[in-house]
This record gives sequence, structure tokens and C-alpha cells, in this order.
Amino acid sequence: MADVFKPIQPEPQIGPHRILSRDWDKPRSWALDTYLAGGGYQALPKALKMQPAAIVDEVIKASLRGRGGAGFPAGLKWSFVRKETSFPKYLVVNADEGEPGTFKDRAILEWSPHMFVEGLIIGSFAIDCHLSYVYCRGEFKDGPIARVQQAIDEAYAKGYLGKDILGTGYHLDVHVVSGGGAYICGEETALLESLEGRKGYPRLKPPFPANAGGGLWKQPTAVNNVETLANLPIIIEKGAAYFDSLGVGAPKNGGTRLYAVSGHVKKQGVYEAPMGINFKDLLENYCGGMREGSTLKAIIPGGSSSAVMTAEEAIWASDFDTLKAKKTMAGSGAVIYLDQSVNMAFCLANVVRFYAHESCGQCTPCREGTGWLSKLLDKLIAGHGEKKDVDNIHQIARQMEQKTICALADGAAMPVKSFIEKFRGDFDMLVKG
Amino acid sequence: MIPLTRPAGPAPSPFSSEQQSRFDSEFEKAVAKYPSERRRSALLPVLHLAQELLGWLPEQAMAYVGFRLDIPPPRVREVATFYTMYRLKPVGRHHIEVCNSVSCWLGGSEDLLKYAEQKLGIRPGEITKDGHFSIGETTCLAGCGYPPAALVNNFRPCENLTKEKFDALVEQLKSEPGNTQAEFPANHDTGRAHDHG
Repeated sequence: MADVFKPIQPEPQIGPHRILSRDWDKPRSWALDTYLAGGGYQALPKALKMQPAAIVDEVIKASLRGRGGAGFPAGLKWSFVRKETSFPKYLVVNADEGEPGTFKDRAILEWSPHMFVEGLIIGSFAIDCHLSYVYCRGEFKDGPIARVQQAIDEAYAKGYLGKDILGTGYHLDVHVVSGGGAYICGEETALLESLEGRKGYPRLKPPFPANAGGGLWKQPTAVNNVETLANLPIIIEKGAAYFDSLGVGAPKNGGTRLYAVSGHVKKQGVYEAPMGINFKDLLENYCGGMREGSTLKAIIPGGSSSAVMTAEEAIWASDFDTLKAKKTMAGSGAVIYLDQSVNMAFCLANVVRFYAHESCGQCTPCREGTGWLSKLLDKLIAGHGEKKDVDNIHQIARQMEQKTICALADGAAMPVKSFIEKFRGDFDMLVKG
Repeated sequence: MIPLTRPAGPAPSPFSSEQQSRFDSEFEKAVAKYPSERRRSALLPVLHLAQELLGWLPEQAMAYVGFRLDIPPPRVREVATFYTMYRLKPVGRHHIEVCNSVSCWLGGSEDLLKYAEQKLGIRPGEITKDGHFSIGETTCLAGCGYPPAALVNNFRPCENLTKEKFDALVEQLKSEPGNTQAEFPANHDTGRAHDHG
């Protein structure tokens, strides 16, 4: 009998630049030997000979934007940590991948864990950190966590981690910690609360994690996404100018990006493409286009928290700044293509149910708002909706925005507003009378 | 329910002697990841450990974990009820959770859940009479490209599920031991964390 748990192989990569996905088509791509054979751990000795501040400058010049969702310049975040005079400083990795549509960090942890580990060491060195935590979602235990733990163990054995790394005197310890199952712990301050052994209630900011008083155990802390760190070896190896030049969208959006594509496309999967590739290009040249009989109706561009786009808007570039200007967001790089068979009200009801379930309950506008939205949308799709309900749903979403400690409420409001504004007909056709 | 005022005093162990030695050695490893004055931070991993040994988290296990980490019982309970992976009541030997988030929904998760209910004769939250299976729904598992996805016993992803593949899954699981189902008095507040609405 075939094993139903057999891991899924990554899709063949067809982008012009194979950086993060370099080894994915090789057997045992996750092994140290494979990574070394492909030129792995070449950046580390180079980085350890640089001044830490020079690494931060290089990353700023490379326009590396945080790949977790907010797109904050990674080098800038580190420069804030460096300015702090309080020690110890920590680097915490956000591997709590849970935004609906997103499955690209898992691909790195499973298929290229050493590239991530090398980046993690370089990042820790750059902010004078000697103790780092990788906070992974608990469900990853037997898959991604096992792979990354193996990579960390191999790195210790090779002298890339531990005391006196490569004879430079720099020391670093890394621990992997499992979460308990909560979407909110992908929010960086909720993650820190969880790492400290508490329920994941986001913290009031400021102080931000990078500042004294705001990070792990109140110490200055850089919280970085897995993919962000995996980009460091190439920046150190080939330089900031090369990395910055890879982006094809708005300026200051460097590198390639792992786009996690799902929905009604021919070939779902994780694709490495130049940062900023437009959605039409991604669909046609990477995912084989829409399925037989499917016509593109809508695109969710950056995880379920992002504002939806129409088929006509597929020509937009997918970088952080372009999409921000278009009132949506690049988010986590999770792109969902929807076809004509989907009624957007049903889709929204599904999306909102998620936020109602995952709201941590700390702030009233979010706790109550997501619940009301979910109930009203369920009423609508059950065929009991009235015209005023659609307006009410939109109104509730507007009232939730900018009123809560973290961005979960805004992440629920953005799809609600955009789904209704761009696909009002789908909602009205469900209304009685 | 554990009174809110009870301090983190000595609590009896919920483990058999064999489980105890396993718990003790894994406990030390979990705590060693943190600076010594921060050992309480290990609460989530230690709860995972207790659940792995017992199959779920009865009150006795929460109280004991609190005692070992010097955390008051209400704080332990607060954490155990907040996160969805901790089970506050027993589940089947094989607990299958179908992802209900957007990509899996587009990929047919509703039909799959219906099929699972039909095949096993249970609703989400229920356990089959022979104790072998229970089913539930879960949120995004980061398997969005391979829908519909499900998770077996918290840690084993099973993806691109069809009816045929679900049948094969059930057959395969029948031959595996799965969760322990330690018997303890039921928790007063059962069910999974914050399933409001």
C-alpha cells in the first residue's frame, strides 16, 4: 500500500534566477552535502570577516524587504537593534507560517534548511546576537522542524554554530521551539509572548521588539521571517547591487521571491520569481495558466488578509510598494487565483470565518467585529440576507480598522471591504427581495 | 476546575513510571533551551510533551506541569485553552482534522469533510464507538498548494486528499497504534480553545 503521508515534491522551477530554490530538484536537497556542493556556506566566512554594521548597511542597500508580510526593510530593522545599548540581543525567527494561502517558508525549511541556517547565523552576527530562537508552528514538528533541527545539528558538528565559529571567536546558539497552534502567534509580539510561555496576546507598541523593553524578555530583538533570512547568503556572496537588481517591480524591492500559488491554476505550488513580477506573468508563465474551463475572476494577492483584485488588475506588479499604492498588499507572497465558479460572498464567508476563529479576543472591535461579520456572512450565504446586511457588513469592517493592538482586525477588514466593493453583484444576488 | 487561588504547590504526577522517566529526560531538554532564570518559558513545549505521553491534557497533567515549572495552575490552564493543539478532552486514537481555510475550501475541503463524516459515521468532535477515529476541522496548515489537506494526530500532514486517498488513509491508520488515550476524570471545560461563534 502506498504511504498516504508521502511528502510532496516541489514544483519544477522555471524562473530566470534560482537562488532560494537552487537545490530543490536535487535528491536529498536538504542535506548538508547537497548544500555545500551547490556553493553553500561560502557566504558565512566572508560575513564573519566583515564588520557587523557593514553587513547591515549591505542589507539596506540590497533592498531586502521582510518576507513575512509587512515588507519592512530588513536592514533598517537590524539598524534599530544595533543602536540599542542593552545586551543581550536576540534574533527570533518567525516560522509560524499560518496565513491562509501561504506555504513557502515550509518549502525552505523542508527543502533548503541549510540556506536558512546560514542566513540565520549571518543575521545574528550582524546584530551582535549570541542566542537565537526559531519559533515554528507546532504542526511542523515531524516535517519542517525535523529538517531544520537536523540542519542545525549538522551546522554545530561542522563548527558553523556553537563556540568560536570558524575560528573567529564569534559564538551563537540556536534553539527550535514549537508553538501550540494559533494564527495570532505569527504577529511578532504575540510570537514573543508565546515564546516566553504565555498565551499569544499581541503587545501594545511602542516599545517595538527592536527596542529595549519591547523584545524577547524585554531585550532588543530582531524578529525575522524564514525567507528573509534565507536571502542573506546571496546578498553577502554577490553583493547588494546584484540583489537589488533582481527585482522587476517598484524600486527598493530587491531579490527574488517565493510565490506560493494556489486556487484554480493548472499547477499550484511554490515558485521562485523576480520580486514584483506581475500577476498575469506569474499565472501564465509559471503556473500554466488557469485550469481547463476556468476563467480568471479574482486574485487574492498576498494571503487572505490582503484586499482582493479583479482579473483586469492582474497586470499590477506584485512588489510591496506597488500593491500598497493600490490599497492592497504583497503580504506573505501567497497568491490565490479564483475562477468564475466562485461566488465571492461564499469565498468571503470562508475567509472571515477564519479570522473570527483566530481573533485572540484581546481587543473588543476585533473579537466582536469578526464574530458579527462571520454571522452576517453566514446568514447571507444561507439565503436569509437582506440588502441592508451587505451595507452593514461593509460598515462593520470600516469600524474595525485601526482600532486594535495588532493588525488582525485590519487583516479581516481589508478583504471584507474589497470583496464587497469590487464584487458587489455577487452579494446582492444572494439578498432576498 | 482548578481554583484560581491555588498556588503552584506539589501536584501528583499523572504518569506511569515508564512515562515519568521519558517525561523527566525530555523535560530537561526542553528547559535547557532557555536561560536558567527563564525556564518558565518552556511551558508550551512541556505541555506538548505531557500531551504526547497521555494523548490529551487532563487537569492533573496541567497541574503537574505547573508544579514542575513553578507556574500557577490558572496560568497553565490559560495557555492550554488558548492554543488549539492542546486537547482538553480525549480524542480517537487517530484524530483527523480537515483544513477549512480558503485554498483548501476551493480545493474541495467541504466535500472531503462530508465524506469523512459519512465513512466514519461521526460528526466533527465525536469519536467512533471503537475509539479508533475522531474528526474535526482545523485552520490553514500551510498545505494550500496541495488541497484539500488534513492533519493526523497534530503532526502528520496528508495532502491532495481524494475520497480514494482518504479510504487509504483510514486503512493505513487502522494498523498504527496512534494516540494513547489515558483515562482521567473529564475536564469541566471541554472542547477546543476559543471556538466561539
